[in-house]
Amino acid sequence: MGHLIGKAYCIEHVVEVAKSIVMAIHKAPQITGKTKIEAEIIWGDDLVPIIEVLEPVAKAARYVQWDYETIKRCYEKGESPVIINIGGKVSRSNLNWNCGACGFDTCKEFNAYAKENTGGGQLGGPSCNWKIMDYAIACDWACAAAWQYNVDNRIMGSVGFALTALNYLPDSDIKLGLALGPPRDLVYYSREEMHKDMTYEMDKADMVRCVPEMFTAFTGGGNPQYKTKNDWWAPPEYLNVGYSDAAMEMMQKVLFEEIPEIVVKHSDAIAARYQK
Amino acid sequence: MKKYHEDLDFRGEEYVSDWTPWSPQDIRRKKGVLEAARLMLNSAMTAPAAGGVASIEGHLVYGQEELEAIARKIEELAYKNKAWTEAFLYEAVMVRDSDVIILIGNTRCHETPLDGACGLCGGGLDCSYFYDRKKHRYGLVDITDRSSSRMIDGPLCTARVNDFGFAVGSALWTARTLMVDARPFASIGMAGQKMGYCPKSGMVVGVPVAAKSKNPYVDVNVDYHLINMDKVLDSARKIYQTARIIRGFDYRKWVPKPEKTEGEEK
Repeated sequence: MGHLIGKAYCIEHVVEVAKSIVMAIHKAPQITGKTKIEAEIIWGDDLVPIIEVLEPVAKAARYVQWDYETIKRCYEKGESPVIINIGGKVSRSNLNWNCGACGFDTCKEFNAYAKENTGGGQLGGPSCNWKIMDYAIACDWACAAAWQYNVDNRIMGSVGFALTALNYLPDSDIKLGLALGPPRDLVYYSREEMHKDMTYEMDKADMVRCVPEMFTAFTGGGNPQYKTKNDWWAPPEYLNVGYSDAAMEMMQKVLFEEIPEIVVKHSDAIAARYQK
Repeated sequence: MKKYHEDLDFRGEEYVSDWTPWSPQDIRRKKGVLEAARLMLNSAMTAPAAGGVASIEGHLVYGQEELEAIARKIEELAYKNKAWTEAFLYEAVMVRDSDVIILIGNTRCHETPLDGACGLCGGGLDCSYFYDRKKHRYGLVDITDRSSSRMIDGPLCTARVNDFGFAVGSALWTARTLMVDARPFASIGMAGQKMGYCPKSGMVVGVPVAAKSKNPYVDVNVDYHLINMDKVLDSARKIYQTARIIRGFDYRKWVPKPEKTEGEEK
């Protein structure tokens, strides 16, 4: 006998769905059959370190801002997303295929390079591309499984960056996060959580910067005018290319000052979970 | 009006059986697999991709000669690398045992990278690992020199390769949903790429598809390139014919009969 009322039990059930999705991650076919893949599930208050790391990055990258705002606001509303942390061991090749996809003639040369350069990128790297294929198939099966369970979801490099910074899944060297729920349509697409943040001016400015050819006038003069306003000829504006001190300073500050501070705050607690 | 008559004409019968291979009844069955393969390729197109950018192309390959050509190319590659030999020879058999081969390629991983500074290719904080090893001018990669002796002309944009894996995964998921057997193979991909399939791609993966009583891609025996269904059937033909000719009688005049056992009526 039983009687489940309200939404709380749906939100709780997303964790159970996540467990089923992890089955799909482990069942996913591999090309090499030799790629180690692991998955964890994290939600509620345990998302706080991830949200904190995403906050400064959100200032520097719009797509991270989307993920940051969505996860944070759902969490604060008591409708925490459940995130599946998916990790893979991809920075060494034990294949000996010598296929050249990594840029080296042999796996041996790649491994020697990787030994000196592992983990230098925002998402890790370097990578054996065939192992990345195995890893990505598993991630895709996770998305497809979530789709079949009718739980809104999105695979996120932003969360992967946070997982890497905070050293979750310490045995893996590529990490992505699959955000699930809360149970409703369109959490991570056509994002309602972003409504109040996006003004018309911001939206238009994004288009002007990101889709520049839509706003470009006659280019025959060699110095194309830019159409950013109704009377775009008075006065005219021109497209130019230049180094941005501001953009570079922002990225340096985020990567080398703000994130390390947050990582230090959480690192002992997270590392303790993996102590064997 | 014409449609009405066609609808009235909706009748017929199709006999479907997987025996003998390449017979009309088997080809009817294969056509069903072809429809599944088409849906799988569509699924590859709908997979998640960084920035939602289209980067997938595909080839569907079917037919006895077409599959044989891929199998032979894989056998050729098998002897180029000791690490491949055994597996590739086995996988060539699987190609011959397939109904349709899907070749899926990523058109951007070698030429138009994500430029996202993710570091996945070389472990750095920018895209220099990729560009420093490519012929390019101001970030526009020149792929016209195709003389590389490598199987795959790397480095590749690994973020694009990651998207590529999503695409292959979605194709495989659809196969699972439609209950056709399929697995992803590097051997088929590399052979297909060398044969000119997926011509715009920097990396290609092969996904053979089959709907047979036995999944062709699992439960193989040792020396699979020597001992497999085709070889066993051919062996039966060889042994049986020889068994026939080592004896002789004119069946119109006399046929040997088993000896009567005790108590049996004469």
